[in-house]
Amino acid sequence: MVSPHCHFDVLVLGGGPAGMVSAITASQNGLRVGLIDEQVEAGGQIWRAPWASSPQGYESPEARDGNKMRDRLALSSVTCLFGRRIWSVTDRYRVDLLGADGVEIFQAPHLIVALGAHERVIPFPGWTLPGVMGLAAATIMLKAHGLAPPKDWVLAGVGPLLAAVAAGYARKGHPPKAIIDLSGPSDWFAALPSLASRPGLFKQGVGWVLSIVSSRIPIYFRHAIRRAEGQDRISACVIGPVDADGKSIDGPEVGIACNAMMVGNGLVPGGEVPRLLGADQVYRHELGGWIPECDPFGRTSLEHLYAIGDGAGIRGGAVACSAGKLAGLAAAHDAGCIDAGAFAHQSAQALAEHRKLSAFSDAMAHMIRLRPAQVASIEADTVICRCEDVTRQDLVAAARAGARDVNQLKHFTRCGMGPCQGRMCGDVAAEILAQEHRLDRQAVGYWTARPPLRPISLQSMLGRFDYADIPIPKPAPL
Amino acid sequence: MVSAFTRIVASHHALVHINVDGVDCVAPAGEPLATSLLAAGYVMLRHSPNRHNPRGAFCLMGVCQECAIHVDGQIVQACMTPVRAGMVVQLRGAV
Amino acid sequence: MSTMHDLIVIGGGINGATTALFAARGGMDVAVIDRGPLCREASGVNAGTLTMQMTRVALIPYALRAHHMWATAREWLGHDVGVVVCDGLSLAFTEQEAELLAFRAGKRREAGAPITLITGQQALQIEPGLSDKALLAGHCRVDGYANAYLTGLAFRTALLDAGVTLTENNPATDIRQTSSGFEVVTKKGPLRAKRVVIAGGVWIEEMMGWLGIDLPIKTLVNQLAVTERIPTAMRTVVGIANGLLSLKQYPHGTVVIGGGWQGSGSREGGTCSLLPERLVGNIRLACHAVPALKDARLARAWTGFEAETRDALPAVGPVPGIHNAYVIGSIHSGYTSGPYLAKLLADQILGREPDLPLFPIDRLLKPEPLAQG
Repeated sequence: MVSPHCHFDVLVLGGGPAGMVSAITASQNGLRVGLIDEQVEAGGQIWRAPWASSPQGYESPEARDGNKMRDRLALSSVTCLFGRRIWSVTDRYRVDLLGADGVEIFQAPHLIVALGAHERVIPFPGWTLPGVMGLAAATIMLKAHGLAPPKDWVLAGVGPLLAAVAAGYARKGHPPKAIIDLSGPSDWFAALPSLASRPGLFKQGVGWVLSIVSSRIPIYFRHAIRRAEGQDRISACVIGPVDADGKSIDGPEVGIACNAMMVGNGLVPGGEVPRLLGADQVYRHELGGWIPECDPFGRTSLEHLYAIGDGAGIRGGAVACSAGKLAGLAAAHDAGCIDAGAFAHQSAQALAEHRKLSAFSDAMAHMIRLRPAQVASIEADTVICRCEDVTRQDLVAAARAGARDVNQLKHFTRCGMGPCQGRMCGDVAAEILAQEHRLDRQAVGYWTARPPLRPISLQSMLGRFDYADIPIPKPAPL
Repeated sequence: MVSAFTRIVASHHALVHINVDGVDCVAPAGEPLATSLLAAGYVMLRHSPNRHNPRGAFCLMGVCQECAIHVDGQIVQACMTPVRAGMVVQLRGAV
Repeated sequence: MSTMHDLIVIGGGINGATTALFAARGGMDVAVIDRGPLCREASGVNAGTLTMQMTRVALIPYALRAHHMWATAREWLGHDVGVVVCDGLSLAFTEQEAELLAFRAGKRREAGAPITLITGQQALQIEPGLSDKALLAGHCRVDGYANAYLTGLAFRTALLDAGVTLTENNPATDIRQTSSGFEVVTKKGPLRAKRVVIAGGVWIEEMMGWLGIDLPIKTLVNQLAVTERIPTAMRTVVGIANGLLSLKQYPHGTVVIGGGWQGSGSREGGTCSLLPERLVGNIRLACHAVPALKDARLARAWTGFEAETRDALPAVGPVPGIHNAYVIGSIHSGYTSGPYLAKLLADQILGREPDLPLFPIDRLLKPEPLAQG
């Protein structure tokens, strides 16, 4: 069997902004740090390294920030363990990885989890058709791979990503045919004051608006996708009006011929690792869903386990950086590398910055929050669990047959049992269950986290072995 | 192909040949396979195992598993798999 | 004041729920309480194997009758629990294992299990998915599996249809003896009954303590794993001679890999975790037996508690010295036998003579250790 590498003081899971900053901070303060990510380069989703463009090519502000941080990381003493899939995290913190060289095990007394979020897409009939993709997928194609959807594409959903993607593609000469925005202009205006604290973002936002306006892209405010149509691929969609809560309301439906759709309704924290380890969880609607309970430094209920970044509550990249700094300092302090005075001194600035940034991040998180009324509007035969093709009516029937928590719902229906491990359907399925029983989300719970954290092939776990080497336990009693 | 996804940035990566369901394609070495397939016009990648509905890449970040297809005989997520010269891609899922 | 039930069953797993179901159908007013939802602990998360080849010799007569109950679950339970009856193969890959297999199969056959020994080649004809490395196999036609996660819904429906008062998510915290029977203290208030059945799985020890009885129960933490749906790779239940592998493919295509490899955790903490190297060991063994599994992806692995008495035989019968109190549990590899033992206990509670003897716990209360073997 492979033996664990134990030469790190702290392991950081996730190489996005929170993970990078915490790793750099911890290493600057005397800790031996291993930074683990599945991608081959640091950056996470928001700072994803541009892959397709040449280094001299166009740079977005995110790419610039990402490059700057990647340079800092390269100059630091952090050991980068990239291109490795994390499949198990267990007590006192053992991390099992799968990389190009097979299985590896790392163990360290401190663990910082910064694994980010995944996208929430509120299901509609036809959302499983090829050509319908996530909004975050669109940003990856745009930022990292220089790929645009085919000519007739529509953009739908909610939040600042909608504007960023529309403007990004418009500038490249590939504007969407239409923007279907769940919010109305008043929602955007309501978010404006919070932008005052972030002049850089304000400028960026104005730029997006100008690009969208000058491209004359039709915008359907307070609208949502009613359904997507097509055989083996999306060929059209039908949109309809919604109220301020996201509920479908009577009004003219509009059909739009299209051969691709990018749609996203916000983000859900990816809290599987703290959950797997048994850290206390709390449901925070405004922060995207279930998150580990943390102090301002990211300390969870478990000793020497820290959770930061969007996986600990949706707050965006800037807050993730200050959270990374705080967790890196806390780990250094908790490991005895810096004393209380130095810790207080160094963290004061990051705490102040954290607070300053929160007005904006709160406003953005509010914009992309789950709208329960939108979930309530999902039609009965709509697939909720893509992996297992479980529909809303299947979930409702299970609720009526007595399923009251999400794990029971999973047993009754197989919802969440497929290879995405419930990430795509979990938030919406829990919301449907809660609504059916008129319970709050806290009461219906969350999927129990299980290894592997992502599916892995059995072949890749096996390594080389002889039958004689399998440590078969002693026979069961006869 | 009219409805294929379009490359809008000139890539500086070397182009290599891969085989997709018996058809020879070129793709930049190292690019996530899912992206290359979209650019080559392969939008539908597989069918769901339960109701056999058509599916394509969805999240492009390793979460949704919709792009899990056969590459060189193994199920892999196309969005997390870099293109290599000579890859044999089969557009079918685990079942 | 709450209703006086004829019977309260504490613990809504297979044992408790089946006892309650037959007691209710026998005319009793029954209440079932569970700390969580029905069949969400061992009964809902185990590998579902229904086999003679992992059953203890003393339990074979019970397991054979129970297997028939599982196979006819639709009739008596009224609901599908995904039971598939198929051939079972227990493999030996080494001379030593072959010897063990021959001995164990012989003992089980003497007890009535229709197990025959066949060569590895013959096993391959029964199960083309097998590796060609098996030297010897135990073959049994009375084998198969249930889909454990379907049992909660099935028993819930059946109990409610039988008029049982069901309270889920309601942990019991004490049992008090009263002049007319028992008062069970629960989170949602006291419940009263003339009789009580303790069916709390690994938590039986604590519950027996409420009655002043010291019944030591060991907790096993079994690891399990499941692949995503894959094309048909096998059609039988496959195990190995020493019992540390169970492998089967469900009709929807997932393959469940088990065998009782131990994780870590405790019933007190209520949490358990997988030991990755044991998972790898279990998977190596699985792929050694059925090579096509190598191409599958692991979708999920989990752990479940299993209760074991000192002699690894069931604890089923009256509680000594306490009239109208009963216990049922700790049926080692007992998913197979569970429903039948529960039916026997229900018979006893209803005042009928059980068809086979129960497993009274008097033997487990004596302080001196039992002789080995």
